[in-house]
Amino acid sequence: MTNKYLLRAGAGAAILASLLACGNGLTDVNRNPNNPTDVSAQSLFTNATRQTVERWMGTTYNWRGGEFLAQHLAEVQYTDEDTYIRLARAYMTDTFDGSYYQELEDLRKVIGKGMDASDASIWGPAVVLKTWTADFLTDSWGDVPYADALASDSSGGSGNPVYDKQQAVYTNFFTTLSGAATSLAGAGGASLGSADAIYGGSPAAWAKFANSLHARLAMRLVNVDPTTASAELTKAFAGPGGIFASNADNAALPWPGDGVNDNPFSASLQQRDDYRISKTFMDILKGYNDPRLSVYAHTTDAGTYDGAPNGLNQTDAQPYIVSASRVGTIFFPSATSYTSYGGPGATLPSQLLTFAEVRFIQAEAAERGMGGLNPGQAALFYNQAIQASMDQWGVTDATAIAAYLARPEVAYQGGTAGLTQIAIQKWIALFGDGGNAWFEWRRTCQPSTIAAGPAATEDFVPRRFYYSQTEVSVNGANVDAAVTDQGVDNFGTRVWWDKPANAPTCAGVNLNLP
Amino acid sequence: MGMSVSISRFLAIAGVVFGLAPALAQAQGTTISGQVTGTGGEPVAGASVSIPTLRVGGFTDDAGRYTFVAPASATGTTVTLMARRLGFLPSSAPISLAGSAISQNFSLSPNATQLTGVVVTALGLTRERSQLGTAVQQISSSDLNVTHDMNVLNQLSGKVSGVVMNQSGTQGGSTNIVIRGQNSITGNNQPLFIVDGVPISNQDHGSASKGGGLDAAAEGGLGKDFGSAIDDINPEDVATVSVLKGPNAAALYGSRAANGVVLITTKKGSNTTGKVQTQLTSSLTWDKPSILPDYQNEYGQGAGGAFRFVNGKGAGVNDGLDQSFGPRLDGRTTGCTFVPGTPSNPFLPHVYDASAPCSQFNAPAGAPWVAHPDNVSSFFATGKTLANTLAFSGGTDRAQARLSVGSQQVDGIVPNNTFRKFNSLLSGSLTVNDRLTASGDIQYINNDNHNRAGTGYNSGIMEQFVWFGRQVDMSALRDQVTNPNGGLFNWNYNFHNNPFWLQYQNPGEDVRDRVTGNVSARYHIADWLDATARTGSDIYRWQINQDFGQGNIVYANPAYAGAYTQFAEYSNANNSDLLLTANKHAGAHLQFNATVGGARRFERYNNDQQSTPGIIVPGIYNSSNAGITPTLTSLVTRRQVNSVFASAATTLNDWWTVEVTGRNDWSSTLPAGNNSYFYPSINTSIVLSDAIPFLKSGLLSYAKIRGSLAQVGADADPYQLQTVYIGQSTKFGSLPQVTLDNSQKDPDLKPEMTKSGEVGLELGVLDGRATLDMSYYAKSTTNQIVNLTVSPASGFQSQVANLGRIDNKGFEALLDVTPINTAGGFSWNTTFNYSQNKSKVVSLAPGIDTYVIYSDWYQNLEARVGQPYGVIYGYKYARDDAGNLLLHNGLPQTGDQGVIGSIQPKWVGGWNNTFKFGPAQLSFLFDYHKGGKIFSVTNMWGDYTGIFKNSLQGREVDWNNPGLVIKGTDDVTNAPNTTRVTAEQYWESLYYNAEQYTYDDSFVKLRNLRFGLDLPASFASRMHAASVNIALIGNNLWTSTKVPNIDPEFSYSTGNAQGFEFATIPNTRSIGLNLRIVP
Repeated sequence: MTNKYLLRAGAGAAILASLLACGNGLTDVNRNPNNPTDVSAQSLFTNATRQTVERWMGTTYNWRGGEFLAQHLAEVQYTDEDTYIRLARAYMTDTFDGSYYQELEDLRKVIGKGMDASDASIWGPAVVLKTWTADFLTDSWGDVPYADALASDSSGGSGNPVYDKQQAVYTNFFTTLSGAATSLAGAGGASLGSADAIYGGSPAAWAKFANSLHARLAMRLVNVDPTTASAELTKAFAGPGGIFASNADNAALPWPGDGVNDNPFSASLQQRDDYRISKTFMDILKGYNDPRLSVYAHTTDAGTYDGAPNGLNQTDAQPYIVSASRVGTIFFPSATSYTSYGGPGATLPSQLLTFAEVRFIQAEAAERGMGGLNPGQAALFYNQAIQASMDQWGVTDATAIAAYLARPEVAYQGGTAGLTQIAIQKWIALFGDGGNAWFEWRRTCQPSTIAAGPAATEDFVPRRFYYSQTEVSVNGANVDAAVTDQGVDNFGTRVWWDKPANAPTCAGVNLNLP
Repeated sequence: MGMSVSISRFLAIAGVVFGLAPALAQAQGTTISGQVTGTGGEPVAGASVSIPTLRVGGFTDDAGRYTFVAPASATGTTVTLMARRLGFLPSSAPISLAGSAISQNFSLSPNATQLTGVVVTALGLTRERSQLGTAVQQISSSDLNVTHDMNVLNQLSGKVSGVVMNQSGTQGGSTNIVIRGQNSITGNNQPLFIVDGVPISNQDHGSASKGGGLDAAAEGGLGKDFGSAIDDINPEDVATVSVLKGPNAAALYGSRAANGVVLITTKKGSNTTGKVQTQLTSSLTWDKPSILPDYQNEYGQGAGGAFRFVNGKGAGVNDGLDQSFGPRLDGRTTGCTFVPGTPSNPFLPHVYDASAPCSQFNAPAGAPWVAHPDNVSSFFATGKTLANTLAFSGGTDRAQARLSVGSQQVDGIVPNNTFRKFNSLLSGSLTVNDRLTASGDIQYINNDNHNRAGTGYNSGIMEQFVWFGRQVDMSALRDQVTNPNGGLFNWNYNFHNNPFWLQYQNPGEDVRDRVTGNVSARYHIADWLDATARTGSDIYRWQINQDFGQGNIVYANPAYAGAYTQFAEYSNANNSDLLLTANKHAGAHLQFNATVGGARRFERYNNDQQSTPGIIVPGIYNSSNAGITPTLTSLVTRRQVNSVFASAATTLNDWWTVEVTGRNDWSSTLPAGNNSYFYPSINTSIVLSDAIPFLKSGLLSYAKIRGSLAQVGADADPYQLQTVYIGQSTKFGSLPQVTLDNSQKDPDLKPEMTKSGEVGLELGVLDGRATLDMSYYAKSTTNQIVNLTVSPASGFQSQVANLGRIDNKGFEALLDVTPINTAGGFSWNTTFNYSQNKSKVVSLAPGIDTYVIYSDWYQNLEARVGQPYGVIYGYKYARDDAGNLLLHNGLPQTGDQGVIGSIQPKWVGGWNNTFKFGPAQLSFLFDYHKGGKIFSVTNMWGDYTGIFKNSLQGREVDWNNPGLVIKGTDDVTNAPNTTRVTAEQYWESLYYNAEQYTYDDSFVKLRNLRFGLDLPASFASRMHAASVNIALIGNNLWTSTKVPNIDPEFSYSTGNAQGFEFATIPNTRSIGLNLRIVP
């Protein structure tokens, strides 16, 4: 009987054992059927391009951030961004964080793939775009993780990257861009092809972008380190492959405008109607009778062009919903309703860097006698820059442009007055690139009418953003080191190239905060 | 490698069982068999039937049957056969041992207390409660169905110690249940649910506070709480619910036991000698919102005291704004705006323009400016819940079956919202021969719900009533949902859809079809040995469609004819196991229980979503009508876990039991070298009152101590081992777009481990009139598999890793007292339960002291080292050194961030009372939550918008002399503040201040109340019924709380993001009738 039980128990054990047949089958079960473990450099590059342009020229950072700080636009209705409440503290955290772990990480992968293939037409554009992206980070925050960043899955990389001093970041930019320009200018093939939505993969075009970006970054240092600025401008102007020579060279991302990938400002306008042209901007456009006015702005219901003051409380801002100008037709087809979609705004290219800006940089370099240029060349570059901006924005009336160039405020005066004119004209031309317009204002203090609004939480226009709350949480020691180096983590601390000792002083603007 | 080591351990345990078995086998003699039943004829399992003088005996199986053999040497004698079982009075019968087979049945009368009887434990095994060394609490059908509730879990509220529950703030929403604290930093902290031995899914699609829900699919986010899959169980089908409180009781469930197990056993057919019994239960309740905000009715829409409606988008005066800081609602017909030309600066002279008629969205110019105090409450309808269950059961001695069909029809408290559920459950068992029994059940459930109310931002009903004008006439919105020219008609066109539009023009439907079933066969190998093979599946398809009508504000692109989001989910979880169970007496003093088995679990899950903000033809919400390329996502996951397990328990003299268990799992989700993990447990129980007989007295009738140590492991989610690239369905023009996943995976993951110890004391006094069951436990979860936030500059947002440790320790007690039980039929039973749990995040990653669980409006819910799991971390007021508010221009300033408080309650409890007087019964349950914080976004915005009554403080009709001087120190002069500000400026300055809007979430609720009456037997018999009971029932009848304006109890999901409230639809307060007819 005992044997019978054992036999039955044994049979049970055998069934049990068959149930437990384990081994390699389990590993197969865990093979991810949803996502690939490797992809082409091309598909990564397209996505990174779209995403980084959306980030820095899109809603959160640009249209509801930089454009209010640069006072191209003012906010009506709830004015939390324009009074800096909702630009403070944690507000830019997602912008900062995502830039690293989304686009910069993807661009790093593209660079790695290009390097592995020894193909400069792959890694070169990625390096240039990475530098363009990283510039927004350092100019908005100052010291940022750079050399030690993006390395958590490579050997020797750090999960908690250290913050580089901004000066080191800039040095890195210059070296990187010079190297990229050289390789791009000599590169055969165009391996990114149509996956490069900016230049169709052309290494020659990217070489020009590299040199032009080099010039933009060099000019940023003009107050803090004029020697380096001049030397780097020289390198940039003489970079292999040259700089932008016409609007056809512009680094511009055209948008499909299919309702999914629309120009980010157009997409933003589809959702909200609380932007108006800033009074600061409008006063200058109107005062100079600028031909771009009708492109930049709509008339109000009353048929006039009027701006809304920046930084009002919502009660005071509210009337400007009606009485101030919406942005113009090129972005936004209807003067009176924001519920009209499509139109030219949806496909309007985002301008990463333009020929007009390069000419303004050359004009300023000339006026300052930097970059191998001399003051006698400044007026020509300046007029060419304004003409390029008119062309870029579709202003074709040559008579009006000529009349504009002849106006006393516009006609180039040279000297310090010339530098002011260059700064103001560059600011006008940079409409739509709030980040760069804000950086330039911090560098030049022009136009001098930019000041914090009456309801703003600060009595000065912010000079940087608060560090990412995520970084403060998980990379706190390195953030602390950056704060020790740079100054307290608030709106008032100036980044390295914006130090008060070297920067121009602006009337009514906070100069030296703790 | 790991497997062979573990198998040897497993065989060692098995050897103990089988090695002993032959030695215990009896020699041939008289075979005695029979069945032990209760007085109702139901089988009594686990009863001991023995001949004390001969020291032989056996135990009854699940069918109540026993068989054992008396030794041949005793043949010819007459002996006493005893049937005993805790919870029953013993019974005996004289038998003559003749050498041939003897049959003897027993019918035992109950003598049950809370501490005795049979409970369902791990793997569905029934065990004598006195032998349990772990904490298990069992709730019976009658306790579960005191009143009707849509969700069976909600009926556990306040009744089970060690459990913290938060019912959804929304009809049909998710109920969050946590047993003995959260163990996992980022993983699932919900218990495992098992129905009739088969694990079933409790998947949810809850929303977080700011939109959530299917946020990933739709830019606008649906912001709806779609409930969770456990809602499917019909409470009327449930016989018992056993709550295995944590790893010790649940160790045999392995990977998923750390959070405890809710074990549901459904009702079964019994031997009715072929007669079919019919039972009908019906309930009908009427439902109202429990708590609505306390609105002010003094000031209407607008800002700065002025308002004129022109187009609702800003063309008038403040008519694009959605707040109530407008003119005083004093019936004025003119003078809602100021004389033109004066800026609206509150410090300048203001004169209302008496020549300008007041203008509103729904009335001709000059209509009186008055409040509509009931404008929110009148939006809500009286909901209605009708639930019916009809069950047939019966059987013979060889075959039993039960069939139940149930339906639940709910008309929600928001308009046009319905929930329909249909359940059917068929179960049966067949005794094929003396050795083989087969049983199975199959259940089909259909859930079909329409137009659930949105919560949170974007589409939330209550969000709209937080941003609102107090003069808005709800009937105007009800009467005219759409404009004559199409599109919606509303009081505001910048931010809000007409609330009726949300319910009528944005059709939403969620349907879940589900089949669960299992079959099992038990083979009676020997008197003491059974083999059971069981396989079961839980299969469902869940389809959620949300359409947006043309003209919908947010998400739908106005250039198109509407928008949609669709979501389809398929889940199939299959579990098979094989068990050998041995149950053996060695003489009258020693009893052995042993189980060895193996199991295989396989889960398959598919999830497909599509959405587009633009369709072409109105009313056709599918991809072929998409004007804008839909965004598509799809996900397939699979997981397999193979297991072997064994347990062995020895009971000496019915009073001392020692049990050891061991289990080894092999999980597909862990890397090959780390995918095998073993975990043991040991527990013991000593019935002191039997061990030390002199303890027993007139006062003390029962005393037991127990203790247990256990370790359980847990695997990862699928696909956490390799970092991947993620493609997008939408192209950039025609170009594909791919990005590296933001989460870095870990190819070397190890299993999570939870170690837990508990001790318990059970006391019964005065023959069980009062019982006390207490437990203390401590547990620690290490090697947590977390997707930890890392420095974004590292190139990843998060990293999967084994990190961190959470400790929980706590105390729980259940006191059950029957103060009155008279011969005249009057009784009063009262139970208290109390649970406190202290959790502590001991460590995270090196150098990292916080993990953000959830983030909203500048406030985080975090796991911070040294703090309880789940602290609200956010901005506090700026203060001077003396602690006074630091004011700037008369207004409070935001200071530093810090920990505001923990969301964990200090303790929770329930007090349940049942009175019986003859045919009448009265019962009620109070539910307590003490402590724990919540962050209330409803209050934050409600203050900001000036619609809550507390925002009246400091308002002045005289705009030239604004009303508030906030107490504090001026940050420039360092002197006490003297600057006056308007109420509007003050209340608008406070938002995103967590210190201001975090509340103590203590509350007391009258959870349910029932007054029932058994109709006279004569009446019942005319209905061919044994009993007819009719009852008045009520749920959530009363709440006491310090949290203003909202119901303090809410949950958006079964996830870890709790404690953040925004715009939940209020819980319902229900009153109704219940009818129960038993044949």
